[in-house]
Amino acid sequence: MRIFVTGSTGFLGRSVVAKCAEAGHDVVALVRPNAPEGSWEWPDHVEIVTGDLRQRSEWCAALDGADAVIHLAAATAGDLPEQFAGTVIATENLLDCLPSTVRRIVHISSFSVYDFGSIGTGAELDEDCALEARPQRRDAYTWAKLVQEKLVVDFCREKSFSLVVIRPGAIFGPGKHWDFGRGLKMGGFDLIFAPFARMKLTNVDNCADAIVRALDVSADGGTFNIVDADLPTHAAYHRLCRHAGAPAGRAVYVPWLLVAAAGLCVRAVNRAFLGGQAKLPEILDYARQQARWKPLRYSNARATRDLEWHPAISLQEGVARMFGDLALAPLQAQRPALEAASGGARDTKS
Amino acid sequence: MAEQVRARAAIIGCGAIAVEHLKYLSASPLVELVAVCDVSKAAAEFTRDRFGAAAAFVDSQAMLDQARPDVVHVLTPPHHHAELVLACLDSGAHVICEKPMAGTADETEALLRHARERKRRLIESHNYLFNDIVIGLGAMIADGSLGEIVEVDLLLSLDFLSGPLGDTNLEGASVRLPGGAVQDFLPHLAYLFLHFTGHQGEVGDARGYFENLSGNPRAVFDHMDALVRAGGKRGRLKVVSDGHPDMFRVTIRGTKGTVETDLFNPYLRVDGSPNIGKRAPWGQIRNGLALARAGVRNFRQKVLQHGTYHGMPRMLDAIYRSIRDDTTPPISESDMLDSARLIDRLVQLGAAR
Repeated sequence: MRIFVTGSTGFLGRSVVAKCAEAGHDVVALVRPNAPEGSWEWPDHVEIVTGDLRQRSEWCAALDGADAVIHLAAATAGDLPEQFAGTVIATENLLDCLPSTVRRIVHISSFSVYDFGSIGTGAELDEDCALEARPQRRDAYTWAKLVQEKLVVDFCREKSFSLVVIRPGAIFGPGKHWDFGRGLKMGGFDLIFAPFARMKLTNVDNCADAIVRALDVSADGGTFNIVDADLPTHAAYHRLCRHAGAPAGRAVYVPWLLVAAAGLCVRAVNRAFLGGQAKLPEILDYARQQARWKPLRYSNARATRDLEWHPAISLQEGVARMFGDLALAPLQAQRPALEAASGGARDTKS
Repeated sequence: MAEQVRARAAIIGCGAIAVEHLKYLSASPLVELVAVCDVSKAAAEFTRDRFGAAAAFVDSQAMLDQARPDVVHVLTPPHHHAELVLACLDSGAHVICEKPMAGTADETEALLRHARERKRRLIESHNYLFNDIVIGLGAMIADGSLGEIVEVDLLLSLDFLSGPLGDTNLEGASVRLPGGAVQDFLPHLAYLFLHFTGHQGEVGDARGYFENLSGNPRAVFDHMDALVRAGGKRGRLKVVSDGHPDMFRVTIRGTKGTVETDLFNPYLRVDGSPNIGKRAPWGQIRNGLALARAGVRNFRQKVLQHGTYHGMPRMLDAIYRSIRDDTTPPISESDMLDSARLIDRLVQLGAAR
């Protein structure tokens, strides 16, 4: 298949392009003009197209003949107008350019779209859980990703494109370690909020594997949560990172009940005395606290069943690739497969 | 308009500045928000839903024809302003236009003439004039506590190259006006300088630098440092993109005293005469206490999201009341023209290089 991949040079995109190439697909990787060369390592036959989805330009023509699109591009920082432009308007431009040859769209959404407040403590979060109905109380990323997902779903329904939505949890890997699971650093100590709540982690290469599998799955209109099988608690993840060599401090546990109580108190004060107008940091904002630390169970049952996805990289190996002896392993591990996919010759950008 | 009849308002352009207008439009008892319009359907529909507008459009002429607004806010990138302002005026609507309303003073004058001929209001946003601290400074000038104003210095230090104005992932100039990205900010400096000096008409002289120090092609210009003389008054206007931290520093010197503030983090430092001898330290102590009070107040303002655009609703309310009551608008034609002429003089510093 000829696969057009947006967000190619992002943290997840780099791995997705490599996995697509490894699977034998012809890959067209959309790369932003300012993406630093050498920030990716793909086989020679990956076609690189330069452009920014916020502006329609030559990239639009590069979609011609594509059989599938993997849409990863999204803004992850900035205020709402910036994230709206980088996530929603970028997606709108992409959808406007889609040729009829496209048989499958794999849209990468996020766990952030769920309404964590509506899920009871300790309950299971799966694909059928409610989406956030009041994103204005969360953050710009959640709001933009919600609008983006709805845009894609509505478009595909109206134009009869086959769509798979992937909602990854917290993607980790070399360069992205989620602060070793800590909520706050205080000198030599790390405050571990909700230490016994599970993290919704997925290794970047495991997640990329699920996305590539979604190209072929027969399910149409399916939505899949992607989290790994062996999910650690915040405390266990912090301990694992620290033992693997991460520069983490000594752990101080702050139970979820204490975190939530602080959030609820601040919310009450905000409502009573500040008209609910105060903009609070995440650690004091109850709605955002719940999204990050509320003790929940996470299911990947649908992905393992329908995508036949089984995370190949264990938590221990994933952490070791970030901090331990295997810290340089990901690209090295990919090389034999990449070389095979490119006909044995390794001619990569560095 | 009768008291109970609300003006039918619409906006064209649903970007960042639209949010500041819509906070007022969606809450004011003087206004009924009948339509929003943007070339992006997603942006238009999102804005409609977020602010409770009656309709969303992607075509501005269709919006004017179908929604029939009494007042249109033109909030697009500035190079689209002139065409849209003319279309709105021709449809019979009053227009509130974001700054800079036009690329040159001649274009500004032509647009104002067009509005006058159609007996419509055309008002460029000068929102900083309605901020608490600017109103306070105006009162100090008016009551004579600074004496006769002789000098006004304005420094806008803003890392605008790190945002969309300098994002070289995007093609073309970010602000398609002769002064590039700097011109997007010049109206603030121009109208504040004229407001604080009280000068009317053309300035006498402007000299200095207008250049691109970063080499960022999207900005076209990213730096200005100009000395301006206006009547017997003078000032220094600076736009800097590579300094830290962000600030909008204002210093007003009069024959009796000097006052200094920062529009981004407001405080007042007042130095009056005599500032030598035993009384000088007391002035410093007084200013120190005022700075501490300002710090507490600014912390509260940040938490409550009372930002640098807090004058916008006040300005819009004054404009809507002037339209309703058919009274003098809070920003006059001569205010806009004088500001545009000063901007012309400053931009010419770049053209001359």
